[in-house]
Amino acid sequence: MDNHGIARVARTARTDEQRKQDLEKIQKYRQLDDAIRDKASRQSYDDPALFQLTSKLLRLNPEYYTIWNVRRRCLTSGLLSRPSAGSSPSKASPSTSQSATTNLSSATSSSSSSAAIPLSPASPTTGKSGTTADAEAGVNTDVDVLRFELAFTVPLLMEFPKCYWIWKYRKWILEQAILRLPRPVASSVWEAELALASKMLVKDRRNFHAWGYRRYLVARLESTDLLGRSLVEDEFAYTTKMIQADLSNFSAWHNRSRLMFRLLDERNADDKARNVFLSTELNLVQEALNVGPEDQSLWYYHRNLVSQVTPSRGTPTIVPNLTAEQKISHLEQQIEFIKDLLEDFEDIKWPYEALLEYTLALRKLQSNAQSDGQEDDPNLFLSKLRKLDALQAGRWNDVERDIEKQLKESI
Amino acid sequence: MACLKQLPEELQLATAQHVKYIQSLDTKKDEYDYLLTEHLRLNGLYWGLTALHLLRHPNALPRDETIDFVLSCQHENGGFGAAPGHDAHMLYTVSAVQILALVDAFDELETRGTGKLKVAQLYSPVMAGLQDREKGTFAGDEWGEEDTRFLYGALNALSLLDMLHLVDVDKAVKHVAACANFDGGYGVNPGDESHSGQIFTCVAALTIAKRQDLIDIDRLAGWLSERQLPNGGLNGRPEKKEDVCYSWWVLSSLSMIDRAHWIDREKLIRFILQSQDTENGGISDRPGNMVDVWHTLFGLTGLSLLGYPDLDDIDPVYCLPKSTTQRIIGKRT
Repeated sequence: MDNHGIARVARTARTDEQRKQDLEKIQKYRQLDDAIRDKASRQSYDDPALFQLTSKLLRLNPEYYTIWNVRRRCLTSGLLSRPSAGSSPSKASPSTSQSATTNLSSATSSSSSSAAIPLSPASPTTGKSGTTADAEAGVNTDVDVLRFELAFTVPLLMEFPKCYWIWKYRKWILEQAILRLPRPVASSVWEAELALASKMLVKDRRNFHAWGYRRYLVARLESTDLLGRSLVEDEFAYTTKMIQADLSNFSAWHNRSRLMFRLLDERNADDKARNVFLSTELNLVQEALNVGPEDQSLWYYHRNLVSQVTPSRGTPTIVPNLTAEQKISHLEQQIEFIKDLLEDFEDIKWPYEALLEYTLALRKLQSNAQSDGQEDDPNLFLSKLRKLDALQAGRWNDVERDIEKQLKESI
Repeated sequence: MACLKQLPEELQLATAQHVKYIQSLDTKKDEYDYLLTEHLRLNGLYWGLTALHLLRHPNALPRDETIDFVLSCQHENGGFGAAPGHDAHMLYTVSAVQILALVDAFDELETRGTGKLKVAQLYSPVMAGLQDREKGTFAGDEWGEEDTRFLYGALNALSLLDMLHLVDVDKAVKHVAACANFDGGYGVNPGDESHSGQIFTCVAALTIAKRQDLIDIDRLAGWLSERQLPNGGLNGRPEKKEDVCYSWWVLSSLSMIDRAHWIDREKLIRFILQSQDTENGGISDRPGNMVDVWHTLFGLTGLSLLGYPDLDDIDPVYCLPKSTTQRIIGKRT
């Protein structure tokens, strides 16, 4: 129902063979679905067979969100111990939670015990040796159950990296870890997740699910529920690494632009250190622009840095106490840099857009300070933009009107 | 738009084929793929029915069956699932409310469903509903996950039901403002990268809350209009490929902030029309690809916002025909 990037092929009638195959698949799927609905409608969430059925169906269709919910109910109705009410999990000692009706935890110390309700009836006595069936058989403590769930979703995520429901389920499992495991154990489970986020971002550098997941992991890890210490330096370094691998990774530049506020706060950076940081970042993106002047990710980041110098109303800035001279100096330097760049690359629109924005910002500053009478005419850049980017003609008309208005007001 | 009539035939809107295509969607019950998309059934009905209304064939799907199906997805707590037997979730509840709005059947919700109050109370933070009392955010269901999509969905549905007073709109607005980025755009949650789809949800939420004053309009509009690529199509984020669905996410956002004229209309119209399957109906993500009902709707809503002839006007805030929102919301003011 939501096809992306799949080539259109002529719709020919299905052959009898194809129709038969479809019907077989439908029948198998329906059987699974019916069996799950039947058990769920009878609230048999502690039935281990139900849990296994959800595994089967979710492997066929991880978008079927209701089945993820059934699986959650299976976990909270027996497979997981009851979290100690209200308090933090401390020792999730399985022996204290036998009140749960059919509780897997009751078999903690004897996975081969016949009293145990294995997740898979197959080979309940074998330990975890890596295969799915063995893993299903071996789980019995909360940490095992939760680790098993995390492992279960990995191949699904690899195959369906943009499926919201899988990411959501994984987050829920991680929250269960906080509720049910001793803090050091929960922390180690969560820390391991950062590696998964990195792996997903190697697979697809722009996957916004994976970037959002990473930010979520970091925020939770930093909380007192888990590590209770800042990871901002590590995360900032991570964006450097991602940018070095691919200058066009706007997602990495974006994350950097958000992290730098906290980074400077936590470094207790004074005004001077903040200004030095800004200059260093400007140098970094200038070097990148010298290599890739057509890269809009770089231009967005450049504009973001320059907007720190002259923030629009109400927006925070990393350099709140720059002097007027410092502001003018930053803007003039960036304008010079772009003009130099244009000597080699004059047919790209992005530098002109930046020039237009910066010269207008400079004019505003200079109307408050001393003008040296050498200002660039923004209309020159605007006429270049009209030529290089005719798609946005309507925008340039509005900008021209605004420039006229601004000039009139400044007289 | 006179010049559009001179476009070659393959670049005319294939209205009859699109109507037929949408009507055929529910006849594929013996196909495995139909089964795999059951979790989208109620959304699909909303997409198809809205498309039919824009195409001026509002009765191409039977009204009674539509209402029966929608109500068959409702749970006792007022929420709707994707199909009968599927759990309730915000995404489907919003679609249900939109469909009932479209076919003017809120009265059936009262007589045959749980009534609109119960639906609306799902969201109420006071009733331990989906809005977080502290943060103002909305979850999709009782299993968590907060996203500006859900916040918008709640405001959309509650506004249609005239029940906005049940939630803390100010806190919701504050949360949306916290999702703003330096480029003027908005993400899924505070700190997340700007994305055209999320921008639509945030701008529409702020519009429903009458708080457009919080938007950095020119910066946002500049970012949005830069989504147009030389072939006329729009992408959702920098350095990504064009896709018909962004004709809606980007253009509706631009429309709401009165900047739709910042992109090249003719080129986008061509791009959308080129993505049609003129033989069998439907619109795909880009020319030559497989069609689906989601891209069909968002191609048509895009064309509608672009003033393409022979299509009804779409409301950029609610993604419903303007005639529908006029009927429901217009009379209140």
